[in-house]
Amino acid sequence: MQDSIQREIVINASQERVYKAISDPELVVKWFPETIKGEYAVGEQPIFGFGSHGENRILIVKATPHEYFAYRWVPGGNYFLGDVLSVKTTLVEFRITVQDDGSCKLTLTESGFAALPEDIAESSHQQNSGGWDFMLGRLTDFLSGQ
Amino acid sequence: MSVDAVFKALGDPVRLEIVTRLSDGSSYTIGKLSENLGVSRQGARKQIQALASADIIELHPAGRETQVCLKPDSLQQARLFIADIEQRWDQRLQALKRLLEDSGDT
Repeated sequence: MQDSIQREIVINASQERVYKAISDPELVVKWFPETIKGEYAVGEQPIFGFGSHGENRILIVKATPHEYFAYRWVPGGNYFLGDVLSVKTTLVEFRITVQDDGSCKLTLTESGFAALPEDIAESSHQQNSGGWDFMLGRLTDFLSGQ
Repeated sequence: MSVDAVFKALGDPVRLEIVTRLSDGSSYTIGKLSENLGVSRQGARKQIQALASADIIELHPAGRETQVCLKPDSLQQARLFIADIEQRWDQRLQALKRLLEDSGDT
């Protein structure tokens, strides 16, 4: 059993472009939340908006161009809007490494599930079916519209 | 039984080792299960009790010993939760890849 997950994807783009797509709010809204409110910078707690599904506040903890970007949040569909520092959270980390052929490997890690407080893990699992549908819908829009 | 309780119960190396030993479906006596865990028998007993309280394992008295086995349902819930989180990140990362590879404006 695991306290963390790790996913990898190879992206045929420069390290700078990958980093920008993760750290620049104008680009982040093109692939993840629909809107971002507040300052998207280290130490700030901007709010991800998922349309009618709700909003989720995150805390950006570290940004190292063009290699690393990390934030804490109450995972997924709990739509937590309080002070992120006041509750147990998971840490979401993006690591970008350049491969021999010039493409980038993006490694996503989310850790801290074992420390989540009462009910969060379970409600995250239950509520996230809605968030999941929303993401699929966004993806479909993205693929058909571009 | 909540997913939360499962993760909490497994967030300890001794408990994780206990669950790993039981994960092939076999049952152990408490005495056998407590061997080579790197903690005292009392310490092992405490972790076994914690797993039983979280409904991850079952204790069956058998004569003078107690047999321990895994409750598969509880681990299944935790696996589903993890699979769900992984799947959502995969979709987000695919969308990110599309964005970067299909557009030249970034």
